[in-house]
Amino acid sequence: MRYQSHKIALNFYTAAVLLFLVQVAVGIIAALQFIWPDFFILNFNTIRTLHINALVVWLLLGMMGATYYVVTEESETELWSIPLAQFQFWATVLAVGAVVVGYIVMGLNPQANMEVFGTRLLNEGREYIEAPRWADILIVVSVLLFLFNSLMTVLKTKKFTAVQGVLLGGLTFLALMYIPGMFYTKSMVKDQFWWWWVVHLWVEGSWELIAAALLAFMLHKLLGADVKVLAKWMYIETGLVLFTGILGLGHHYYWIGTPEYWLWVGGIFSSLEPIPLLVMVWDAFRTTRETRGVVQNKVGLYYTVAHAIFNFVGAGLWGVVHTIPQVNKWTHGTQITTAHGHLAFYGAYVLLILSMMYVTLPLIRGAKDFNQSRGYQAFWWMTISMVFIVITITGAGMVQAYLERLLGLDYVTVKADYNLWFWIFRAIFGVGFLIGAAIIVKDYFTIGKEKAAAVSGAAERA
Amino acid sequence: MSTNAAKNLFIYGSLLCFIVLVVLTIDTMGKLDQRAPEITEKVDAGKKVWHKYDCIGCHTILGNGSYFAPDMTKTTERKPKTYLIKFLIDPRSIKPDSAMPKLGITEKEADDLIEFLVWISKVDTNGWPPKPILAVAATSRAASPGQMIFQKYDCSACHQIQGLGGAAGPELTHAGSKQPDAEWHVRHLKDPASTVKNSAMPDFAHLSNEELNALAEYLVTLK
Repeated sequence: MRYQSHKIALNFYTAAVLLFLVQVAVGIIAALQFIWPDFFILNFNTIRTLHINALVVWLLLGMMGATYYVVTEESETELWSIPLAQFQFWATVLAVGAVVVGYIVMGLNPQANMEVFGTRLLNEGREYIEAPRWADILIVVSVLLFLFNSLMTVLKTKKFTAVQGVLLGGLTFLALMYIPGMFYTKSMVKDQFWWWWVVHLWVEGSWELIAAALLAFMLHKLLGADVKVLAKWMYIETGLVLFTGILGLGHHYYWIGTPEYWLWVGGIFSSLEPIPLLVMVWDAFRTTRETRGVVQNKVGLYYTVAHAIFNFVGAGLWGVVHTIPQVNKWTHGTQITTAHGHLAFYGAYVLLILSMMYVTLPLIRGAKDFNQSRGYQAFWWMTISMVFIVITITGAGMVQAYLERLLGLDYVTVKADYNLWFWIFRAIFGVGFLIGAAIIVKDYFTIGKEKAAAVSGAAERA
Repeated sequence: MSTNAAKNLFIYGSLLCFIVLVVLTIDTMGKLDQRAPEITEKVDAGKKVWHKYDCIGCHTILGNGSYFAPDMTKTTERKPKTYLIKFLIDPRSIKPDSAMPKLGITEKEADDLIEFLVWISKVDTNGWPPKPILAVAATSRAASPGQMIFQKYDCSACHQIQGLGGAAGPELTHAGSKQPDAEWHVRHLKDPASTVKNSAMPDFAHLSNEELNALAEYLVTLK
């Protein structure tokens, strides 16, 4: 371990992978509830909240761990304060634990979600940002401590690299964009308007900046590619991400009670959103091709390139097919959106954080050689399963759009009768994904800890 | 393009886009109140009920939410209020196969929630959700007098015939086989609870005798 600070990155990674496993297990319960609504002691709303909140939190924990690693490497120094980072880690884990307990209590007894100081005690009842106001404040404090510690580390040696700039810029943007979700409005239209600022400007804005910075970092680490060239393309990618993504927000304002001009703004800019993601794919392939033959950590590169590809396919292609208002009018509010959400998050962020783990974990643990076969196994279990999950939900969405929106059949009839087999297959492929996630967790705890003989034996077999 | 030029394009281009977004946001905020009815205390109380029970954890509203249960944007346009209140308080007493559990919603909360849903149904959503074009085409064909009454009072909002229509009330595809007595149907339409205990269906006593008879005669033909 080059720096003691990397232990902190490991703490964040450990919490992230464990939460990843929880997220996938809970997702299978949610999938089964589409077939048997009373399958579990907690209702679907609580299970879905846990599924998505676990996803968001483990990705954020992964980003924080990755950032602590990147700033120490780029600045070539320890973190400004290791105890502060440790405190921030444990405070975050405790706060997240308290929020989860609150969700479960509310799920078992909805009346416990009482009003306190004009806000809900356990669950705000707002999609994705269900965490109550007291937790919002703790989350903001945690992120501010994290940003402060990272910025002070950069200032210690004043090595202002492009990757650090975009990474910390993206994280600051992320922190700022949490604020529009922290106040109550009487109008549901205004509620959703500001809610989309948080959700869209996170996943199609600040998170993509973080992704671009980490992609450049990983390509440099894995391939030793020229930092200047990587930086130039990173700026082009992030510039295009924000040029298309900020006003692409308009595609969420077609049908929620906002003026008609958003149909034009959203339609034009969101149609362009796949372009920067395609540039990222090209960037990954170009860099790999130019430096072929010197890669030690092949599985790390595998995940990195796969992240770029599935970011483009999931967030780009699966998004652009229903982003035009004339199409979206029929698909809005159907399972088509769920399909897009699953593939986009898998490609853009799940694979991103897993890439960072595969790239940095062997370096942190000092493992020059490690058994890479488990990483490939996990990748194919997860990817094949996710592709089929997305195909089943896309099929369900197409059936739903046709029968419900065009023919006028009832929502419940379509869901319970016509789409039943899609739900069954989705749940089966969910189990496949869980197997992949379990292999990841096992690999995470094994890399750098296996005896040398076992590693070389496995490498030979692979 | 040099790295510096790319960097400047990223910084200033992004700032420009953000400024445009802020300007459009200010303009939108100024227009939203004209695109929706006034928000009364009761509507606000209903919105708080929506949040309290995390309704969006299963339903969508304005098309956003969880896709597990029906969208709530236009629910009150077609479903009768009396039915909705009974359903919200105890869903499975009205519809035994409903996926919705009993959440402990009080009568007042249900009333407020419906007021909020009435408000949301009147928001100008640029024509969303679209009218199902094939269903509209099917209902414009020539029909019997009873069928016309069925369409006029939007009975298909709650009842299905041959797979088309809502699932809130019983399916009517074989209504004539189950109850071939036209007079029973007239009595049921005038006062549903007199023939079906705990019925959540609103009465249609305001229909003329001619309309009631035509509708009953149509229903007994469904076999």
